[in-house]
Amino acid sequence: MAYDVLARPLRLMGSTALALTLAASLATSLSSAASAQEKDTLVIARSMDVNALDPARAFCDTCQIVLTSIYDPLTTLAPDNKTIVPRLAKSWEANENQTVFTFHIDPTAVFADGSPVEGKDVKWSFERLKNMKGNPSFFMDGVKSIEVTDPKTVVITLDASNSEFLNKLSAGFTGVINSDVAIAQGATADADADKTDKAEAWFLTHSAGSGPFALSAYRPDDELRLTRNEAYWGKKPAFSEVVFRQTKDSVAQAQMLESGAADIAMQIDMDTAGSLASPQVKTEIIPSYNFLYIALGAGAKSNTVPLTPDVRKAIALAIDYEGMIDFTVGGKGKKQSTAIPNGFSGTEGLPERKENLAEAKELLKKAGVPDGFEIEAVYPNDNIYGVDINLMMQKVQQDLARIGVKVSLKPSTYPVWRTQVNGDGIPLTAVYYAPDYYGTGQYADYFAMMPGTSWSKRAGAANNPAIINSKEAPLLAKALASAGADQEKAFHELALEMMADNIIIPMVSPDLVLAHRADIEGVRYSACCNLPVAEISRKK
Amino acid sequence: MTDRTLDMALPAANSRPSAAARALAALRRLPAPALFGGAVVLFWVIAALTVQYWGLPEPLQIAGKRLQAPSLSHWLGTDALGRDVLSRTLHGAVFSVPVAIGVVAAGVAIGAALGAIAGYVGGVVDGLIMRLVDVTVAFPPILLAMTVAAILGPGLVNAAFAMVIVWWPIYARLMRAQVLEVREREHVEAAVAGGAGHTRVLCVHILPLCWTPILVNATMDFGQVVLLAASLSFIGLGASPPTPEWGSMISEGASRFYNWWVAFGPGMAILTLVLGFSFLGDGLRDLLDPRSS
Repeated sequence: MAYDVLARPLRLMGSTALALTLAASLATSLSSAASAQEKDTLVIARSMDVNALDPARAFCDTCQIVLTSIYDPLTTLAPDNKTIVPRLAKSWEANENQTVFTFHIDPTAVFADGSPVEGKDVKWSFERLKNMKGNPSFFMDGVKSIEVTDPKTVVITLDASNSEFLNKLSAGFTGVINSDVAIAQGATADADADKTDKAEAWFLTHSAGSGPFALSAYRPDDELRLTRNEAYWGKKPAFSEVVFRQTKDSVAQAQMLESGAADIAMQIDMDTAGSLASPQVKTEIIPSYNFLYIALGAGAKSNTVPLTPDVRKAIALAIDYEGMIDFTVGGKGKKQSTAIPNGFSGTEGLPERKENLAEAKELLKKAGVPDGFEIEAVYPNDNIYGVDINLMMQKVQQDLARIGVKVSLKPSTYPVWRTQVNGDGIPLTAVYYAPDYYGTGQYADYFAMMPGTSWSKRAGAANNPAIINSKEAPLLAKALASAGADQEKAFHELALEMMADNIIIPMVSPDLVLAHRADIEGVRYSACCNLPVAEISRKK
Repeated sequence: MTDRTLDMALPAANSRPSAAARALAALRRLPAPALFGGAVVLFWVIAALTVQYWGLPEPLQIAGKRLQAPSLSHWLGTDALGRDVLSRTLHGAVFSVPVAIGVVAAGVAIGAALGAIAGYVGGVVDGLIMRLVDVTVAFPPILLAMTVAAILGPGLVNAAFAMVIVWWPIYARLMRAQVLEVREREHVEAAVAGGAGHTRVLCVHILPLCWTPILVNATMDFGQVVLLAASLSFIGLGASPPTPEWGSMISEGASRFYNWWVAFGPGMAILTLVLGFSFLGDGLRDLLDPRSS
């Protein structure tokens, strides 16, 4: 700043240096690069979005990795990303209409302190998750009662059939906590746990699980450290220590990987991945279950034109979906028809979304706005799953301009966006989603236009009840009460309804870059656990 | 002192050359770096005024394949949406130059007016205005601008407004100091004794002798405003996309380190314009305000 007290040379130097710094891209912070790691430590470069490390409070992508490494859930997902396999529960039975589940805890399972994992811990952990009324509490939605019939047997009864309940229990947020240890630290599972539980801070630096690792340190914006649980009752992990090093952007992660300062990076965008030249680095590009979507707030207060089904369909038809994949992820992504990831139950054989400008213009004419209209787009200005949302929205803006819809872009911060979308609503917005477990139900619960879902509220069902699709709730109930082909069919019909709503319009399901040093083995992407750290090893 | 400065700018008494000749004479006295700075600034001003007639690709439209390296068809390459970076960079002047001029002009107008009142009236008014100046100056400029821009919401106009709030106190201080000095001179006393009113004394007898440091400072500040505007856009509080504003273009390029050209164009634009203004301001200071050199 040019205050008159500054000496001239300083000013010149200051302005030049500042300009140069800007030009050289402020965002690359490479200072955290450490030297090559010891053989026994795994270093993961990651932009950590940790909000808490208490399973009943945490809700973030990094939490998926960390929690499933520390706390064993009852079930887990096999490498095929579809089959549910035992973890803490050695076996289970369900009644015919999928409302009563009986779990038998593995008799060899012990917590890190050597005490056995018992039914009371499962009951306590699940009740605490429910009573905390936090972000992940929805995992316990529909749970009527939890009974401990003997120290190793737990019976869970649901309000309604849910054939995806076992899938839900593979998420790290449902991990089982050593109740004795946690209670001693002020944790509680009482009905008023959201007010009386005092253990949040303790969970940020300690852990009480039965998983392959234990938390040894967490310093926000710096690093998170896991150490091997020497008392682990399953297959012991290869690394004695795992360090997550806070590395904000894609380029810095790539450079840490190339220099050997990190062993794994999972948030490298496609363009940067293409520039990785070192033979010491291996990149795998695999389809992911993540997606980015635009959403139309049919009940938003600032709409200039009613977003009727015709107008919404016109907007959906005006998007150049192929171009979108090319512009956002350099062609390394998949189209997705509705708000359920490709490969999840019900998505097989869904019609692809296609651009059709003539029909879009026709629909606008029918809706009485042949020359288009203006629409405001507020969205979080984030870079997620390798996609710059700002860029994606500029593409949307260009595409919609072709049918006369003028989009004014208003990038915002996530908290501001959340306040607005949950308040007055936003006519056009863009966000992202990643699965917490393998199951279609979670998407219906979140995205379908059924009363009470997050997006029916955000899209403005209170102002515009016409957006509620009455066919969806019965289809979901039907799907959750059935299994196999019947379930698939019901989910498919539900997916078609959600697609026809045109409230949520997926733009791209970006492929995932799994980049790691060449001497690292066993890196894979999991729909429940994100990155199963315990399976990773270093070649001898 | 200031009178002498004025004398220097006056022509010899016997002949009265035309305004053009006087301007040329003044130009000749400018040091070489200042001339260079002036030329750079002139280039950007011309670009801001006429770039739409240069026959460049549309800055908001896709001009080719995305992320092409610089080539003969796209001198500075293309960005992540396939837009021509050179065209976007030059069109950036349309936003940055008027913002710089507008913010400095508004800052000078508000600051000089308040500073003059504070210096001339003195007493409680002076105390009030100068405490307001102290409070504003106490905040780090970028922090204050960020706060104001965040409250008003993103957008170039709001960012400009935020910058005016940050900028006016500098001129208020400068102007007050000048007025305090000039107020005590004999010719002012004579005017007051002759029965001139306060407005006349201030506007006719004092203010004309106070402008030089403000002018020099303002020239320097153009560059700083360009930089602050770019910083605000870089963090998403300035121009909204797809406006080809330099700061937001650099922000787009920052995450594409390997595609260096995306941020290079706007980076060089900021660098040259800021340096241009700094050199020019330095030269003007040497010319008009020799005591501070």
